[in-house]
Amino acid sequence: MRRDRKLRLTYLFCMIIICSLFIVIFGTSVVYAATREHENQNLSQVAPDLSNAAPIVSNEACLECHGKPELSLTLSNGDILDLYVNPDNYEASIHGKDGYACVQCHTDLGNYPHPAFPASDLRDVTLQLTKVCDRCHSGEYNRTMDSVHAAAQTAGMREAAVCTDCHGSHYVRQLTDPGTNLLLPNARLDIPITCSRCHFAIYQKYRSSVHGAALTEESNTDVPTCIDCHGVHNIENPTTNAFLLNSPLLCASCHTDPELMDKYGISTNVLNTYVADFHGTTVTLFEKQSPDSQTNKPVCYDCHGVHAISRVTDPKSGIEMQQNLLVRCKACHPDATTNFPGAWMSHYIPSPEHYSMVYYVNLFYKFFIPVVLGGMVALVGLDVGHSVYVKTRRGKRPPKPPPQAETTSPPESPMPFPPSESLSPSVSEAPSKPPPSEILSPPPTEVPIQPPPSVEDSAEEPHE
Amino acid sequence: MSQSKSDPSSSTSRVKLLRTFPRFSVSQRWEHAILLLSIATLLLTGLPQKYRTAVWSQTIISSLDRLATIQLIHRVAALVLTGLVLYHLGKAIFLMARRKLPGDMLPTLQDVKDAWNMLLYLIYFKKQKPAFGKYNFEQKVTYWFLFFAIGIMLISGYIMWFPEVITRILPGGAIPAAIMAHSTEAIVTTIFIVLWHFYHVHFERLNLSIFSGWLNEEDMRTYHDLEYNQLVREPRSNESSGDMKL
Repeated sequence: MRRDRKLRLTYLFCMIIICSLFIVIFGTSVVYAATREHENQNLSQVAPDLSNAAPIVSNEACLECHGKPELSLTLSNGDILDLYVNPDNYEASIHGKDGYACVQCHTDLGNYPHPAFPASDLRDVTLQLTKVCDRCHSGEYNRTMDSVHAAAQTAGMREAAVCTDCHGSHYVRQLTDPGTNLLLPNARLDIPITCSRCHFAIYQKYRSSVHGAALTEESNTDVPTCIDCHGVHNIENPTTNAFLLNSPLLCASCHTDPELMDKYGISTNVLNTYVADFHGTTVTLFEKQSPDSQTNKPVCYDCHGVHAISRVTDPKSGIEMQQNLLVRCKACHPDATTNFPGAWMSHYIPSPEHYSMVYYVNLFYKFFIPVVLGGMVALVGLDVGHSVYVKTRRGKRPPKPPPQAETTSPPESPMPFPPSESLSPSVSEAPSKPPPSEILSPPPTEVPIQPPPSVEDSAEEPHE
Repeated sequence: MSQSKSDPSSSTSRVKLLRTFPRFSVSQRWEHAILLLSIATLLLTGLPQKYRTAVWSQTIISSLDRLATIQLIHRVAALVLTGLVLYHLGKAIFLMARRKLPGDMLPTLQDVKDAWNMLLYLIYFKKQKPAFGKYNFEQKVTYWFLFFAIGIMLISGYIMWFPEVITRILPGGAIPAAIMAHSTEAIVTTIFIVLWHFYHVHFERLNLSIFSGWLNEEDMRTYHDLEYNQLVREPRSNESSGDMKL
């Protein structure tokens, strides 16, 4: 009975603990999910914010004037600001589709006549108005503040890109799939064109590259566009040491993906073969240890090209052609000659076909090490074992003197010097170790009585 | 080694008679000391470069400047070792030209037999160790193993040091092959020295003759029986040393 109760109590207790654990886990995950959702949809902040503000002015009211193509404003420097908004295009834009009102962005324009617009020129208009993006898209907006573009803006370069330069203002397109949050294929195709509006020279190189050609000519969306390497909103400065040291991992993010590479028959060993070589070792070492330090070692793009990355088999610039690679080698090794590019194993793992010399050296050591070292270990082990055996069995200190000295050394008679015992009644104790300076002089056997001539003779000339 | 009973005339003094036999010349002892120092330096500066991904190595090579310093030390030590090898070979050729090169260190068929008999002794098939001459098979193995190891290390090291020059003569693949050989051979050599050489000169018995230059009689009889007998019987027959006498 009592035991029963005890059991039941334990069971109850356990259940309570398990249940409370479940509740805690469920609760935290719900809170976590809620915060995540909150982060994702910071758009929802907008509605209450606006409901407090002036009553929403309908888009029709705005378009009564701004739907007329001739509406414009002359700015103080003489620039003409077009004030026309195409109603159809706006409706087709992501903001129009979602029913956003003009005054949600242009918050100060709810009343007519509008307050004066204090922009000095057209660029100033853009720079002032782009700040309203922050109201809904603060995540993206803040990330652009870390970008190389924002840095250029603060340095006074007014042309540096802001939100609307890439996304447009009234006709903002839907770029990502709302379900997966991934970039839509069509949007991918247009990215290089967007960037080319400012970076046209680079765009032309990109278009000639193996990646760019696939994108622009075959509409292949597997290949990287600008943003895959440079980032989207927080585009970092690609000329820093840190960017250089990290770049092999950037390339590797696609080039070690077997699913993607198998489609095109490209090896996924490019990163580990690079890292195994001393150029790559140094780069990865410093990427880990001091990412800002400068290195003179090449990274992927030093050989393969930066924007104009060509197929390695390309006869004109492909670096599988050793003479094309030699040009790259010479950038750092000006004395390099025809054979020199062969020192780089071209991402091959040594095999009888490729880099057979390296393969056979490796193979040699694979056998040599176990045989030699194994033999050594065995002999040393046997020796240790034997001397332990001798010590314990015979109970005497040196392994063999008693039996051996008698048998193998000549019975100390026919010799030029008599057995040491006979010399003994002589002198003081000999130094157990002579100072090194005396070593080549007669040995320190201080035996005044007829020092055996033979010993002296042999001692004078170090005998080999 | 041999101790007399108390002497009748001076009852307090106990006589210890130490008879020593010269084993290495001053030049040979210096060679060994320089070899030891240069190889130790090469290992200490080389191993962090080989195990560059290990944490302990990265605390040593923490910056490019450090790496440059380590490589500089490594190369200076390599130059010292090269000089030593050239001296050693030059001496051997010099002696050979005068037919004075002592053949003690050359491997012979007897060494194979000695090794076999030693093995039989060690696995308790024989009651007695084989008797050895000036250099037993173990010492010859040490010498010749290191001889070839240093040869491989030096050649591959110079290939890595001057890749632009080497590829004028050899195919490019020689360089990765040299890297592979250099790095692997270094490990083999290290293990060899620690396991084989250190065992025989420190643990089997403490043998400092390469520093002091001499061996005492007991060690001579125990480990270099044949040489001992020869010295004792015909001391003048073996006058040529391993050193130059100009």
